[in-house]
Amino acid sequence: MGGPVVFVSGADAGFGRALAAGMEERGARMADLGGVEALSRREGALAAFDAAAGAAGPADAVVHAAVDPAALEAGAVADLDDGRVEIVWERAMRATLFLMQAAHRHLAGRGGRIVLVTPTIALSGAAGLALYASAVEGQRLLAKSAARQWGSDGITVNCIAPSAALLGVDPAALGAVTLSPPALGSSGDVRADIAPVVDFLVGPAAHWVTGATISLDGGAWLTP
Amino acid sequence: MSGPLSGRVALVTGAGQGVGRGIALALASAGAAVVVAARRAETGEPVAAEIRDRGVDGVCVETDVSRRDDVERAVAATVAQLGGLDIVVHNAFSGRASTPHRLADVDEDLWTEFSQTAMWASLHCARAALPHLAGTARGRLILLTSPAGIEGSAAVPLYAAVKGAQRALAKSLAREWGPLAVTVNCLAPLAVSPALDRALVENPNLRPALEARTPLGRLGDPEHDIGSIAAFLAGDGAGYITGQTIVCNGGSFTGL
Repeated sequence: MGGPVVFVSGADAGFGRALAAGMEERGARMADLGGVEALSRREGALAAFDAAAGAAGPADAVVHAAVDPAALEAGAVADLDDGRVEIVWERAMRATLFLMQAAHRHLAGRGGRIVLVTPTIALSGAAGLALYASAVEGQRLLAKSAARQWGSDGITVNCIAPSAALLGVDPAALGAVTLSPPALGSSGDVRADIAPVVDFLVGPAAHWVTGATISLDGGAWLTP
Repeated sequence: MSGPLSGRVALVTGAGQGVGRGIALALASAGAAVVVAARRAETGEPVAAEIRDRGVDGVCVETDVSRRDDVERAVAATVAQLGGLDIVVHNAFSGRASTPHRLADVDEDLWTEFSQTAMWASLHCARAALPHLAGTARGRLILLTSPAGIEGSAAVPLYAAVKGAQRALAKSLAREWGPLAVTVNCLAPLAVSPALDRALVENPNLRPALEARTPLGRLGDPEHDIGSIAAFLAGDGAGYITGQTIVCNGGSFTGL
């Protein structure tokens, strides 16, 4: 006991699962909020919070780690069909909006932490991944704006920016974006390298951090 | 008339008013023929007439940028009537851009409107225009974004989100289209516009607040402060700038 209760989306696979495992190792109690599709409807997001609260009690923090596998497939903008835009841009943004609204409602009166996972391709742009990069940057700006609106509610909102490779993007698809190799020699490991920083962000020491993006790509894309 | 953009053809969305009109006029003054893509001919036609008064071709094409077929039709009309397409400026946006809202309970409809006029419309423009922009070294795509899309906004969070997304789209397109010699950039202005005018009327404290945080102490002029930069980006001298956002807001935001 004593660790924070953290709701995390996308905890059933990939990045989200590894993050949840790493957080649990550090004492957090995790509950899964499910994937992007269910979260992309307002009632779906609210139901996900009800289910997570039923399993783990009220959250101290909410982490949005879910990503639709379709977002990770490379394809040129010129060849995009609207169905793909619907999934990779529209659905991802609605899921983030509704997750954040549900999180605000859940944390109202108590305060808490919200953390979004926003890979650094949002900052660099990426050929073949334009929609994913755009959705991620849109989410990063939702986080900044929420930080500005919800500070008085005692809610902090921050982003962590790992390499997109950790989210499952084929490193070859990142192509020229990775001209500069990561200073630390690799893209890192979610459980060992990312989870401790999220653990810090949801913990008491980070109470004065809000609206920030912490780059966790091993020192590849060094902005700002 | 002759100018740095003589012989070039531009398409400017939302050019019936505000920043779009200013950009269209600045491009015309630099010598470009301009298609005014406006939602309503009543606003677009007078701007097309102003453009013709400057000695270049000016045509209004009624366009709802949230409709892909409308955008495709506007691009086809541009090529058919003016002989090509070199410069696309996507400026149009929802008339509710400056409507303050709370992220905690904002209505989904506002999101839909912002998403369609910012991201979907940018994609409609990009896909329709690319065949005409590619390969000539004159191809330019310019997306209008906002300082709010960089620093976030306590007043209009959904606006900030879609404007931020457009910056990442421009960066990605710059990478995709570099080999085709097409540049893709963003402008992030603070300027007089109908949407801002409405907000200024509704909130008397807004203008002094904006001016106080702006080192240059005034709101930008659509043609002479913003359009001038679009004309520069459209010209040969800016052919090596791509994937960038030029913040033209009197200096109130200084971090990129």
